[in-house]
This record gives sequence, structure tokens and C-alpha cells, in this order.
Amino acid sequence: MKFKCAELKEFEIVGRPLPKGDEKMPVYKMTIFAPDEIVAKSRFWYFLRQLKKVRKVNGEILRMTEMSNSSPTKIKNFGIWVRYDSRSGSHNMYREYRDVSRTGAITQCYRDMAARHRARPHSIQIMKIEVVKAADTKRPVIKQMHDSKIKFPLPHRILKFNKKSIFVADRPSTMQ
Amino acid sequence: MLYKRYIEIGRVCFIRLGDDIGKSGVIVDLVDQKHLLIDGPDGIGRKVLRLNQVALTDIKINIPRGCKTKTVRTAMAKEGVEAKLAATSLVKKFAAKNAKAQLGDFARFKIFAGNSHPELAQRIAQ
Repeated sequence: MKFKCAELKEFEIVGRPLPKGDEKMPVYKMTIFAPDEIVAKSRFWYFLRQLKKVRKVNGEILRMTEMSNSSPTKIKNFGIWVRYDSRSGSHNMYREYRDVSRTGAITQCYRDMAARHRARPHSIQIMKIEVVKAADTKRPVIKQMHDSKIKFPLPHRILKFNKKSIFVADRPSTMQ
Repeated sequence: MLYKRYIEIGRVCFIRLGDDIGKSGVIVDLVDQKHLLIDGPDGIGRKVLRLNQVALTDIKINIPRGCKTKTVRTAMAKEGVEAKLAATSLVKKFAAKNAKAQLGDFARFKIFAGNSHPELAQRIAQ
């Protein structure tokens, strides 16, 4: 299905049904998050088919642009509205993620949905993604990072285990 | 206090894994429990790093959360972070390890001879 080893990309795809003669056809625009252009186009037609009476055979893509991430060094709180199919039905969700880019947050969302709900990417629909102000965030995991004097130690820090020291005389120190 | 080094805004970190290994930066903001926004001199710039890519130093500077790169760099210069870093064991050990890795075969042989075979070392010196 969708192969997502790296971060997803954001595409803005504009398409329309093919004109028959001189008729003016409606034009539709979608924002799709996908690993590459091919999957993006495929998902575009998948959604458009569900929403409007137009198929890839009878339509054309007018424009497809990859959207770049704005302010990639500013940390933002993203609210993502998702619709996904579980084993026994379809559900809406509102999820929050902290990230530096929209694509990063969406990628986190897909990973998170897979982990927490065993939802595969083909059953997830991203309805909306928005930057949420810190005061308007709802999830405690996100809110806990909004402390201006945030500070925590790294107690009992276990770094990559050095196989050369499997058996040692003294217990190694985990103080950072 | 049991813990002296904290993950906090302004903590100077040494990068121990990844593309920027050996360089150091300042924690400017925290993305989540496992990711930091680090900023530093030209060599690094501003980027997100994972916690395990980073080792904490004893150096901490005073910067507001999420401040601009220019502010970070002037604060680093004002507090003399570079000089303090050069004195930390993390940086020294990395430099030594790096130097050892860069040695050529003859240099390694000279060290070997110098340690255990003084007559050999004398002959090389001639």
C-alpha cells in the first residue's frame, strides 16, 4: 500500500473532470500527504471519486505542486482531525502533535495511529491539519511542553550498549 | 542536588551521533520528550535533534526560549562558550579519538614502537 519509511510530503493537487466539448468543468483542489507524487495522485483520485462523480479515466490533473514547510525551525502545536476505519466501524478523531513542520506532524500521526489503533495508512483520512495556539491545545502530553521554564534531568541514562563490556568488574555509571 | 545537568533552555550540548558529530550547540527549545531544537555557530545552524544524539555538558547560558539564531550566537560569544567547551572532557576525548583515527600507518607504527620497542623508536628517529 503506502510505503512510509521517510517523512511524508505535502502535495496540493488540482484536477477536474475532462471537458466534453465546450462545457466548463468544475475544478477541484485537494491537499494530500503522501510519500511521493505517484501515491499522491492515486489518493487524489481515490478521494475525488468518493466525493464527486469523476474518475481518473474521465478526469485530468491540472496542477500538482509539492508544498514546502513554512518556518521549519519553529516548533508548533498541530491539531489534526482524522477519520479512520477500525475493525468494527469508522471513527473521527482529533489528535495533537508537536513538531516543526506540517509533514512531520502528519507523519507522526500515521505512526501514532498505527501504534495505538493498529490503523493502516489506507484506512486513515486526514480531514484537516491546523496550527493550534498553545493555550488552545487539549492534550496533556502537548500541554506539558508549554512550560517556559521547562527542565528535566536524564536519570539513569542508558546509551547504546558497548558489547565489549558485557562482563565488567563494576557496574557502569548511568549518570549523564 | 543529585542531578547537575538538565535538559533545559540554554544548556550547551555536545553532539555525539549523526551528521554533526563532534560539534556543539545550545538547546533553544524542546519539541517533545525526545527531541530538541538546537542552535549553534555556522557549523550546525538550527535543527532538531533526538535526545540520544546529544550529550549534556556543564555549560549553561541564559537565553529566552525559542530565540533567534543571532541571539543565541551573541550569547554564546558573550559567555565564552567555545573556550569552556574546549576544556570539557567530552570535547577533549572526541578530539583525541578523532586524531587517532586520522593517523596514518607510519604514525601508528611510531606510537607502537615508542611504547614497547625503544630501540626501534631510536632507529626510526634517525
